[in-house]
Amino acid sequence: MTARRLLPALAVGLVATLLARRAAAQDPRLARLEPGTRALVAALVDSARAAGLPAEPLVQRALEGATKRAPGDRIVAAVRRLGADLGRAREILGSAASLPELEAGAAALRAGAAPAVLAELRRTRRQPLTVPLAVLADLVASGVPADSAATAVLALAATARDADLVEFRRAVERDIALGAPPAAAASVRLNAAAREARPGPP
Amino acid sequence: MTPGKPAWVVLVGAACSLVSARAPAAQTTGTVDLGISTVRYDGFLASGAASLTPAVRWESPRGMVSAHGTYLRFESGHRSLQGLVIGSIFTPATSHWRGELTASTGASSYAHFASFWHAIAEARVHLLGDNRGAWIGATGGLTSYGGPGRPVAAAAIGTWARRGELTFLGSASRTFVGDTAYTDLASSVHARRGSLDLEADLGARVWSRGGGRGVYGEANATVILGERTALVVAGGRYPTDPIRGSIAGRYLSVAFRMRRAPLRSLPARDPRAPLVDERASSGSSSSGARLEIKPDSGGTTHVVVRALGATLVEIAGDFTDWQPVGLRHVEDDVWEAVLRISSGLHRVDVRVDGGNWLVPSGTTRTADDFEGEAGIFVVP
Repeated sequence: MTARRLLPALAVGLVATLLARRAAAQDPRLARLEPGTRALVAALVDSARAAGLPAEPLVQRALEGATKRAPGDRIVAAVRRLGADLGRAREILGSAASLPELEAGAAALRAGAAPAVLAELRRTRRQPLTVPLAVLADLVASGVPADSAATAVLALAATARDADLVEFRRAVERDIALGAPPAAAASVRLNAAAREARPGPP
Repeated sequence: MTPGKPAWVVLVGAACSLVSARAPAAQTTGTVDLGISTVRYDGFLASGAASLTPAVRWESPRGMVSAHGTYLRFESGHRSLQGLVIGSIFTPATSHWRGELTASTGASSYAHFASFWHAIAEARVHLLGDNRGAWIGATGGLTSYGGPGRPVAAAAIGTWARRGELTFLGSASRTFVGDTAYTDLASSVHARRGSLDLEADLGARVWSRGGGRGVYGEANATVILGERTALVVAGGRYPTDPIRGSIAGRYLSVAFRMRRAPLRSLPARDPRAPLVDERASSGSSSSGARLEIKPDSGGTTHVVVRALGATLVEIAGDFTDWQPVGLRHVEDDVWEAVLRISSGLHRVDVRVDGGNWLVPSGTTRTADDFEGEAGIFVVP
């Protein structure tokens, strides 16, 4: 092999080695990934950190892929996609959003919730948004149309406690399991919640 | 053999119970049943048959359409073809009340000399509670057996209740088909445990003029074999159905169901009982394990998995760094662990006896970016 051919190969090997070392130094949990995948995931995690995004969800997504023995390129694509979703969520929810809020926001956006809904939630709810966003994502994943789920969560989010929102989601799930169309189930449960919240006669 | 109760009805009715169910989020599901059965219509000799039954269901929040057809090949070499389309629309929900309008049309033929068709519509008003409900409905339409259509009219009331894994249904109906009239009193119970789904029906036909009389009962068991497959065993005795042109008989059937994995699916729903389809919760491609999350006051969370006959149950999720965590066997089919799980949305999978990682029922199924699925749940 000539030096001309050898140099690029050495350079690539050096970069890969450096990336792999960097990855191992950053998060030992990533050692479960193949070296090549580990290096790319670590780079994505670093980029996310540099951009002020949480690294933990990205690491978890990579670990999920490792546990499920997914191909390396698929793991990298999943991590990259999640990073982009987290970035979108932070743009909408603001830089003060917590890690769980960003995670839940990213899941809601991925599920099909409109960015305006997340922004409205941020505007109307003073408490943390983690549970409302998680419930929103979960409702949509259950088959409730995104606009119906958003209407329900927005209606409840201003005043409902986290536990009430989770109970609302459970009630909707129960109705769906009993055969109710998801949108109708959300609507019925929203009406019921509104009735309960309405003050009674003096 | 005369055209009697189509065996596909039996097969579909039984096989529907498990495999087309909940995969969160899609609008269309499809299944294909391959089955064999033996049917003995009243007054005729028993006959074996092989069947092929494709079915498809489209569902939206305001309604659904399902269609299925069946090709039956009898021992005699004769064949039977059937097709049925059912559509339902729902009124917007107001409090616990909801209206439903269902239209059904179907046709069947046996060999080259017998054919039926029917077209009916039913209106129902449902009262929906947390774990119980009721409905009242009226039906009108036409049915025909190789001649002019005969008018169909019926009125029905029904109620249902759910206790844990058991769902009970009861109904009464009075039906008029031309000069035939009869009353059906029906009941059923449905139970689910792990990957096994059981259903039993018991009913009686009384005050009948031309529709036959007697007690009838059916039972079916569905066993989930894999993510997209199930085995269905069913048998019993059913009454004559003058609307759809079937005569009373006994049957025993075994069917193998293959389900097309929906990209996004809604829970399966029996259009005949839209508010109380216990089949809907039976779980299609579940792991045969049910997950319960019980947050404690001390910041920890009890994770309980119910898995029938398991000898090893493990859980992995974003709260375990996706490392398998073995659960402790606490009693029959119940496994438990106490973990720290933060508030928010979490992803999880369960593995039973070292098999594949699967989505446990009790969570919402979502695509996992790895050509599989993960369960998600919310911790307050």
